[in-house]
Amino acid sequence: MIDLEKKEDEQQKQTVEQRSGLRELFELFSLTGFVYGPLDSRLNIREALEKNLKKPVPPHVNWLFCFGGISLFLFTIQAVTGILLLMYYRPTIAEAYKSVVYITNSVPFGWLIRGLHHWGANLMIVMVFLHMLRVFFYGAYKPPRDFNWVTGVMLLVLTLGFGFTGYLLPWNQISYWATTVGTEVPGAVPFIGTYLTALIRGGQAIGQTTLTRFFAIHVVILPLTIGFFLLGHFFMIRKQGISGPF
Amino acid sequence: MIDEAKEDRRAEGDPFFPHHMLEQGMVIFIVLGVLVLLVMMWPAPMEPPADPFNTPEHIKPEWYFLSAYQGLKVAEYFAFLGDWAPKVLGILGQGVGILLLILLPFLDRNPERHPRKRRFVIGVGILVIIMLAALTIWGKLS
Repeated sequence: MIDLEKKEDEQQKQTVEQRSGLRELFELFSLTGFVYGPLDSRLNIREALEKNLKKPVPPHVNWLFCFGGISLFLFTIQAVTGILLLMYYRPTIAEAYKSVVYITNSVPFGWLIRGLHHWGANLMIVMVFLHMLRVFFYGAYKPPRDFNWVTGVMLLVLTLGFGFTGYLLPWNQISYWATTVGTEVPGAVPFIGTYLTALIRGGQAIGQTTLTRFFAIHVVILPLTIGFFLLGHFFMIRKQGISGPF
Repeated sequence: MIDEAKEDRRAEGDPFFPHHMLEQGMVIFIVLGVLVLLVMMWPAPMEPPADPFNTPEHIKPEWYFLSAYQGLKVAEYFAFLGDWAPKVLGILGQGVGILLLILLPFLDRNPERHPRKRRFVIGVGILVIIMLAALTIWGKLS
Protein backbone atom coordinates (compact mmCIF):
# COMPACT_ATOMS: atom_id res chain seq x y z
CA MET A 1 0.00 0.00 0.00
CA ILE A 2 2.68 2.43 1.06
CA ASP A 3 4.65 1.66 -2.07
CA LEU A 4 1.66 2.36 -4.24
CA GLU A 5 1.08 5.69 -2.52
CA LYS A 6 4.71 6.60 -2.99
CA LYS A 7 4.53 5.78 -6.67
CA GLU A 8 1.44 7.92 -7.09
CA ASP A 9 3.15 10.75 -5.25
CA GLU A 10 6.16 10.55 -7.55
CA GLN A 11 3.95 10.49 -10.60
CA GLN A 12 2.16 13.58 -9.38
CA LYS A 13 5.46 15.31 -8.72
CA GLN A 14 6.69 14.44 -12.18
CA THR A 15 3.57 15.76 -13.83
CA VAL A 16 3.84 19.00 -11.89
CA GLU A 17 7.48 19.36 -12.92
CA GLN A 18 6.64 18.53 -16.48
CA ARG A 19 3.81 21.02 -16.45
CA SER A 20 6.14 23.70 -15.19
CA GLY A 21 8.58 22.86 -17.97
CA LEU A 22 11.47 23.69 -15.65
CA ARG A 23 12.78 20.15 -15.52
CA GLU A 24 12.76 19.81 -19.27
CA LEU A 25 14.47 23.13 -19.66
CA PHE A 26 17.09 22.15 -17.09
CA GLU A 27 17.69 18.81 -18.75
CA LEU A 28 18.04 20.41 -22.14
CA PHE A 29 20.70 22.82 -20.91
CA SER A 30 22.57 20.30 -18.77
CA LEU A 31 24.75 18.04 -20.85
CA THR A 32 23.23 14.75 -19.59
CA GLY A 33 19.75 15.99 -20.30
CA PHE A 34 20.67 16.90 -23.83
CA VAL A 35 22.66 13.76 -24.52
CA TYR A 36 20.07 11.43 -22.98
CA GLY A 37 17.11 13.48 -24.27
CA PRO A 38 16.83 14.98 -27.75
CA LEU A 39 20.16 13.57 -28.95
CA ASP A 40 19.37 10.07 -27.67
CA SER A 41 16.01 9.98 -29.40
CA ARG A 42 17.79 10.65 -32.68
CA LEU A 43 21.11 8.79 -32.35
CA ASN A 44 20.56 6.11 -29.65
CA ILE A 45 23.40 7.61 -27.62
CA ARG A 46 22.44 5.79 -24.41
CA GLU A 47 22.61 2.35 -25.99
CA ALA A 48 25.95 3.08 -27.68
CA LEU A 49 27.45 4.51 -24.48
CA GLU A 50 26.33 1.59 -22.35
CA LYS A 51 27.54 -0.94 -24.88
CA ASN A 52 30.98 0.67 -24.93
CA LEU A 53 31.36 1.46 -21.24
CA LYS A 54 30.14 -1.91 -20.00
CA LYS A 55 32.18 -3.92 -22.48
CA PRO A 56 34.23 -6.31 -20.34
CA VAL A 57 38.01 -6.03 -20.48
CA PRO A 58 39.45 -9.58 -20.54
CA PRO A 59 41.11 -10.62 -17.27
CA HIS A 60 44.50 -11.43 -18.84
CA VAL A 61 45.03 -7.73 -19.59
CA ASN A 62 47.95 -6.62 -17.41
CA TRP A 63 50.04 -3.46 -17.13
CA LEU A 64 52.02 -4.39 -20.26
CA PHE A 65 48.90 -3.56 -22.28
CA CYS A 66 48.96 0.12 -21.27
CA PHE A 67 51.70 1.37 -23.63
CA GLY A 68 49.35 1.89 -26.58
CA GLY A 69 46.98 3.96 -24.46
CA ILE A 70 49.90 5.99 -23.09
CA SER A 71 51.08 6.61 -26.66
CA LEU A 72 47.63 7.98 -27.54
CA PHE A 73 47.65 10.15 -24.41
CA LEU A 74 51.08 11.53 -25.31
CA PHE A 75 49.85 12.15 -28.86
CA THR A 76 47.02 14.32 -27.49
CA ILE A 77 49.57 16.14 -25.28
CA GLN A 78 51.66 16.78 -28.40
CA ALA A 79 48.61 18.01 -30.33
CA VAL A 80 47.49 20.40 -27.57
CA THR A 81 50.95 21.78 -26.72
CA GLY A 82 51.75 21.94 -30.46
CA ILE A 83 48.68 24.09 -31.13
CA LEU A 84 49.63 26.36 -28.22
CA LEU A 85 53.21 26.70 -29.57
CA LEU A 86 51.74 27.59 -32.98
CA MET A 87 50.21 30.71 -31.43
CA TYR A 88 53.70 32.21 -30.98
CA TYR A 89 56.09 30.31 -33.29
CA ARG A 90 57.13 32.06 -36.53
CA PRO A 91 58.48 29.75 -39.27
CA THR A 92 61.08 32.03 -40.89
CA ILE A 93 64.85 31.69 -40.65
CA ALA A 94 65.08 35.23 -39.27
CA GLU A 95 62.38 34.84 -36.62
CA ALA A 96 62.10 31.14 -35.74
CA TYR A 97 64.87 31.07 -33.14
CA LYS A 98 63.78 34.39 -31.62
CA SER A 99 60.20 33.21 -31.32
CA VAL A 100 61.34 30.04 -29.53
CA VAL A 101 63.39 32.15 -27.10
CA TYR A 102 60.34 34.39 -26.63
CA ILE A 103 58.10 31.38 -25.97
CA THR A 104 60.57 30.02 -23.41
CA ASN A 105 61.35 33.25 -21.56
CA SER A 106 58.42 35.64 -21.97
CA VAL A 107 55.19 33.79 -22.72
CA PRO A 108 53.39 32.83 -19.48
CA PHE A 109 54.03 29.09 -18.95
CA GLY A 110 55.70 29.03 -22.36
CA TRP A 111 58.64 27.12 -20.84
CA LEU A 112 56.18 24.50 -19.59
CA ILE A 113 54.36 24.12 -22.92
CA ARG A 114 57.62 23.89 -24.87
CA GLY A 115 59.10 21.51 -22.29
CA LEU A 116 56.04 19.26 -22.44
CA HIS A 117 56.27 19.19 -26.26
CA HIS A 118 60.00 18.37 -26.07
CA TRP A 119 59.74 15.62 -23.45
CA GLY A 120 56.39 14.36 -24.75
CA ALA A 121 58.03 13.68 -28.12
CA ASN A 122 60.86 11.68 -26.55
CA LEU A 123 58.54 9.75 -24.23
CA MET A 124 56.10 9.05 -27.08
CA ILE A 125 58.79 7.32 -29.12
CA VAL A 126 59.72 5.21 -26.07
CA MET A 127 56.08 4.26 -25.51
CA VAL A 128 55.36 3.48 -29.18
CA PHE A 129 58.42 1.22 -29.19
CA LEU A 130 57.41 -0.54 -25.95
CA HIS A 131 53.88 -1.00 -27.36
CA MET A 132 55.36 -2.63 -30.45
CA LEU A 133 57.55 -4.93 -28.34
CA ARG A 134 54.53 -6.04 -26.28
CA VAL A 135 52.56 -6.83 -29.45
CA PHE A 136 55.57 -8.68 -30.87
CA PHE A 137 56.26 -10.88 -27.83
CA TYR A 138 52.56 -11.65 -27.29
CA GLY A 139 52.26 -12.65 -30.95
CA ALA A 140 49.32 -10.24 -31.19
CA TYR A 141 50.26 -9.31 -34.78
CA LYS A 142 49.00 -12.63 -36.15
CA PRO A 143 45.79 -12.89 -38.18
CA PRO A 144 43.16 -11.47 -37.84
CA ARG A 145 45.24 -8.56 -36.49
CA ASP A 146 47.87 -8.61 -39.26
CA PHE A 147 46.58 -5.47 -40.97
CA ASN A 148 46.49 -3.67 -37.67
CA TRP A 149 50.22 -4.44 -37.29
CA VAL A 150 50.74 -2.76 -40.68
CA THR A 151 48.91 0.40 -39.54
CA GLY A 152 50.97 0.23 -36.33
CA VAL A 153 54.28 0.22 -38.23
CA MET A 154 52.98 3.14 -40.29
CA LEU A 155 52.20 4.97 -37.03
CA LEU A 156 55.77 4.29 -35.83
CA VAL A 157 57.21 5.69 -39.08
CA LEU A 158 54.94 8.75 -38.86
CA THR A 159 55.97 9.32 -35.22
CA LEU A 160 59.63 9.26 -36.28
CA GLY A 161 58.71 11.66 -39.11
CA PHE A 162 57.24 14.03 -36.53
CA GLY A 163 60.51 13.80 -34.60
CA PHE A 164 62.65 14.47 -37.69
CA THR A 165 60.65 17.45 -39.02
CA GLY A 166 60.03 18.98 -35.59
CA TYR A 167 63.73 18.90 -34.79
CA LEU A 168 64.53 21.58 -37.41
CA LEU A 169 61.84 24.06 -36.33
CA PRO A 170 63.72 25.77 -33.42
CA TRP A 171 66.39 26.64 -36.05
CA ASN A 172 69.38 26.19 -33.74
CA GLN A 173 72.86 24.83 -34.47
CA ILE A 174 72.11 21.20 -33.66
CA SER A 175 68.81 21.14 -35.51
CA TYR A 176 70.33 22.83 -38.56
CA TRP A 177 73.33 20.52 -38.86
CA ALA A 178 71.52 17.34 -37.83
CA THR A 179 68.98 18.05 -40.56
CA THR A 180 71.80 18.75 -43.04
CA VAL A 181 73.24 15.31 -42.29
CA GLY A 182 69.82 13.63 -42.14
CA THR A 183 68.67 14.96 -45.51
CA GLU A 184 71.89 13.69 -47.09
CA VAL A 185 70.81 10.10 -46.35
CA PRO A 186 68.15 9.80 -49.12
CA GLY A 187 70.85 11.12 -51.48
CA ALA A 188 72.35 7.62 -51.40
CA VAL A 189 69.33 6.11 -53.18
CA PRO A 190 70.52 4.98 -56.63
CA PHE A 191 69.65 7.18 -59.63
CA ILE A 192 67.10 9.50 -57.95
CA GLY A 193 69.09 10.26 -54.78
CA THR A 194 70.20 13.81 -55.58
CA TYR A 195 66.67 14.71 -56.70
CA LEU A 196 65.24 13.27 -53.47
CA THR A 197 67.55 15.38 -51.32
CA ALA A 198 66.71 18.50 -53.34
CA LEU A 199 63.00 17.70 -53.04
CA ILE A 200 63.19 17.32 -49.25
CA ARG A 201 65.34 20.43 -48.81
CA GLY A 202 63.54 22.51 -51.41
CA GLY A 203 66.92 23.45 -52.86
CA GLN A 204 70.60 22.58 -52.63
CA ALA A 205 71.13 23.63 -49.01
CA ILE A 206 68.99 23.91 -45.88
CA GLY A 207 67.29 27.30 -45.96
CA GLN A 208 63.97 29.10 -45.78
CA THR A 209 62.27 26.67 -48.20
CA THR A 210 63.39 23.75 -46.04
CA LEU A 211 62.03 25.37 -42.91
CA THR A 212 58.70 26.19 -44.59
CA ARG A 213 58.51 22.67 -45.99
CA PHE A 214 59.29 20.97 -42.66
CA PHE A 215 56.87 23.28 -40.87
CA ALA A 216 54.06 22.41 -43.30
CA ILE A 217 54.84 18.69 -42.99
CA HIS A 218 55.04 18.88 -39.19
CA VAL A 219 51.84 20.83 -38.52
CA VAL A 220 49.54 19.88 -41.43
CA ILE A 221 50.56 16.86 -43.49
CA LEU A 222 51.73 14.53 -40.72
CA PRO A 223 48.85 15.28 -38.30
CA LEU A 224 46.28 14.59 -41.05
CA THR A 225 48.04 11.39 -42.10
CA ILE A 226 48.54 10.11 -38.57
CA GLY A 227 44.88 10.86 -37.79
CA PHE A 228 43.87 8.67 -40.70
CA PHE A 229 46.04 5.77 -39.52
CA LEU A 230 45.02 6.24 -35.87
CA LEU A 231 41.35 5.91 -36.84
CA GLY A 232 42.12 2.72 -38.75
CA HIS A 233 44.20 1.38 -35.84
CA PHE A 234 41.41 2.00 -33.29
CA PHE A 235 38.54 0.80 -35.46
CA MET A 236 40.36 -2.47 -36.00
CA ILE A 237 41.11 -2.87 -32.27
CA ARG A 238 37.45 -2.20 -31.49
CA LYS A 239 36.22 -4.64 -34.11
CA GLN A 240 38.67 -7.47 -33.39
CA GLY A 241 38.97 -6.97 -29.64
CA ILE A 242 42.09 -7.18 -27.48
CA SER A 243 44.17 -10.24 -28.37
CA GLY A 244 43.51 -13.22 -26.09
CA PRO A 245 46.01 -14.93 -23.78
CA PHE A 246 48.69 -17.02 -25.47
CA MET B 1 24.31 -15.98 -6.22
CA ILE B 2 27.13 -13.62 -5.39
CA ASP B 3 29.71 -16.30 -6.13
CA GLU B 4 28.13 -16.97 -9.49
CA ALA B 5 28.25 -13.30 -10.36
CA LYS B 6 31.90 -13.20 -9.33
CA GLU B 7 32.69 -16.26 -11.45
CA ASP B 8 30.97 -14.66 -14.41
CA ARG B 9 32.99 -11.54 -14.00
CA ARG B 10 36.23 -13.50 -13.76
CA ALA B 11 35.44 -15.32 -16.97
CA GLU B 12 34.43 -12.23 -18.88
CA GLY B 13 36.57 -9.64 -17.14
CA ASP B 14 35.67 -6.39 -15.43
CA PRO B 15 33.59 -3.87 -17.36
CA PHE B 16 35.54 -1.07 -19.00
CA PHE B 17 33.74 1.53 -16.90
CA PRO B 18 34.54 2.18 -14.11
CA HIS B 19 37.16 -0.52 -13.35
CA HIS B 20 39.44 -0.26 -16.34
CA MET B 21 38.87 3.45 -16.86
CA LEU B 22 40.04 4.11 -13.28
CA GLU B 23 43.24 2.15 -13.88
CA GLN B 24 43.88 3.97 -17.15
CA GLY B 25 43.21 7.28 -15.42
CA MET B 26 45.80 6.45 -12.78
CA VAL B 27 48.38 5.49 -15.42
CA ILE B 28 47.70 8.70 -17.35
CA PHE B 29 48.16 10.84 -14.24
CA ILE B 30 51.45 9.05 -13.48
CA VAL B 31 52.66 9.75 -17.04
CA LEU B 32 51.60 13.39 -16.75
CA GLY B 33 53.44 13.64 -13.43
CA VAL B 34 56.60 12.13 -14.93
CA LEU B 35 56.37 14.54 -17.89
CA VAL B 36 56.02 17.64 -15.70
CA LEU B 37 58.83 16.41 -13.45
CA LEU B 38 61.11 15.94 -16.50
CA VAL B 39 60.26 19.45 -17.75
CA MET B 40 61.02 21.00 -14.38
CA MET B 41 64.22 19.06 -13.71
CA TRP B 42 65.61 19.18 -17.27
CA PRO B 43 64.01 22.04 -19.25
CA ALA B 44 63.98 21.84 -23.06
CA PRO B 45 67.54 22.79 -24.10
CA MET B 46 68.22 26.20 -25.64
CA GLU B 47 71.02 25.67 -28.15
CA PRO B 48 72.86 28.51 -29.96
CA PRO B 49 71.06 29.77 -33.11
CA ALA B 50 71.71 28.09 -36.47
CA ASP B 51 74.85 29.29 -38.25
CA PRO B 52 75.32 27.88 -41.79
CA PHE B 53 78.97 29.06 -41.83
CA ASN B 54 80.02 27.35 -38.63
CA THR B 55 79.97 23.54 -38.75
CA PRO B 56 80.06 21.96 -35.27
CA GLU B 57 82.65 19.22 -34.71
CA HIS B 58 80.33 16.41 -33.69
CA ILE B 59 76.97 16.31 -35.42
CA LYS B 60 74.74 13.63 -34.02
CA PRO B 61 71.01 13.09 -34.46
CA GLU B 62 68.48 12.59 -31.66
CA TRP B 63 68.84 9.36 -29.69
CA TYR B 64 66.05 7.62 -31.61
CA PHE B 65 67.92 8.09 -34.90
CA LEU B 66 71.31 7.12 -33.46
CA SER B 67 70.99 3.43 -34.41
CA ALA B 68 70.12 4.33 -38.02
CA TYR B 69 72.99 6.85 -38.07
CA GLN B 70 75.49 4.33 -36.71
CA GLY B 71 74.11 1.72 -39.13
CA LEU B 72 75.04 3.98 -42.05
CA LYS B 73 78.53 4.35 -40.58
CA VAL B 74 78.90 0.58 -40.26
CA ALA B 75 77.93 0.30 -43.95
CA GLU B 76 81.12 2.23 -44.71
CA TYR B 77 83.10 -0.94 -43.93
CA PHE B 78 81.78 -2.26 -47.25
CA ALA B 79 83.79 0.35 -49.15
CA PHE B 80 85.99 -2.47 -50.55
CA LEU B 81 83.10 -3.39 -52.87
CA GLY B 82 83.32 -0.04 -54.60
CA ASP B 83 82.54 3.61 -54.06
CA TRP B 84 78.79 3.04 -54.39
CA ALA B 85 78.64 0.27 -51.77
CA PRO B 86 78.62 2.08 -48.37
CA LYS B 87 75.82 4.53 -49.07
CA VAL B 88 73.63 2.24 -51.17
CA LEU B 89 73.99 -0.73 -48.81
CA GLY B 90 73.30 1.46 -45.78
CA ILE B 91 70.10 2.96 -47.11
CA LEU B 92 69.04 -0.34 -48.70
CA GLY B 93 69.47 -2.05 -45.34
CA GLN B 94 67.22 0.47 -43.62
CA GLY B 95 64.56 0.28 -46.34
CA VAL B 96 64.57 -3.52 -46.25
CA GLY B 97 64.42 -3.41 -42.44
CA ILE B 98 61.24 -1.29 -42.42
CA LEU B 99 59.74 -3.43 -45.20
CA LEU B 100 60.41 -6.60 -43.19
CA LEU B 101 58.83 -5.00 -40.13
CA ILE B 102 55.67 -4.15 -42.13
CA LEU B 103 55.53 -7.64 -43.62
CA LEU B 104 56.21 -9.47 -40.33
CA PRO B 105 52.67 -10.94 -39.95
CA PHE B 106 52.78 -12.22 -43.54
CA LEU B 107 56.26 -13.73 -43.23
CA ASP B 108 55.65 -15.39 -39.87
CA ARG B 109 52.88 -17.88 -40.72
CA ASN B 110 53.25 -19.87 -37.48
CA PRO B 111 49.79 -19.79 -35.84
CA GLU B 112 51.22 -20.40 -32.33
CA ARG B 113 51.28 -17.35 -30.08
CA HIS B 114 53.17 -18.51 -27.00
CA PRO B 115 56.80 -17.27 -27.11
CA ARG B 116 58.10 -20.76 -26.25
CA LYS B 117 56.38 -22.23 -29.28
CA ARG B 118 57.91 -19.82 -31.77
CA ARG B 119 61.54 -19.74 -30.74
CA PHE B 120 62.90 -18.69 -34.15
CA VAL B 121 60.90 -15.46 -34.51
CA ILE B 122 61.41 -14.51 -30.84
CA GLY B 123 65.14 -15.20 -31.21
CA VAL B 124 65.41 -13.00 -34.30
CA GLY B 125 63.41 -10.28 -32.51
CA ILE B 126 65.71 -10.32 -29.47
CA LEU B 127 68.77 -10.23 -31.78
CA VAL B 128 67.35 -7.17 -33.59
CA ILE B 129 66.66 -5.42 -30.26
CA ILE B 130 70.22 -6.14 -29.02
CA MET B 131 71.61 -4.89 -32.35
CA LEU B 132 69.59 -1.66 -32.19
CA ALA B 133 70.63 -1.08 -28.57
CA ALA B 134 74.29 -1.76 -29.40
CA LEU B 135 74.22 0.57 -32.42
CA THR B 136 72.57 3.31 -30.31
CA ILE B 137 75.21 3.01 -27.55
CA TRP B 138 78.00 2.82 -30.14
CA GLY B 139 76.62 5.91 -31.89
CA LYS B 140 76.39 7.74 -28.57
CA LEU B 141 79.97 6.90 -27.58
CA SER B 142 81.69 7.33 -30.97
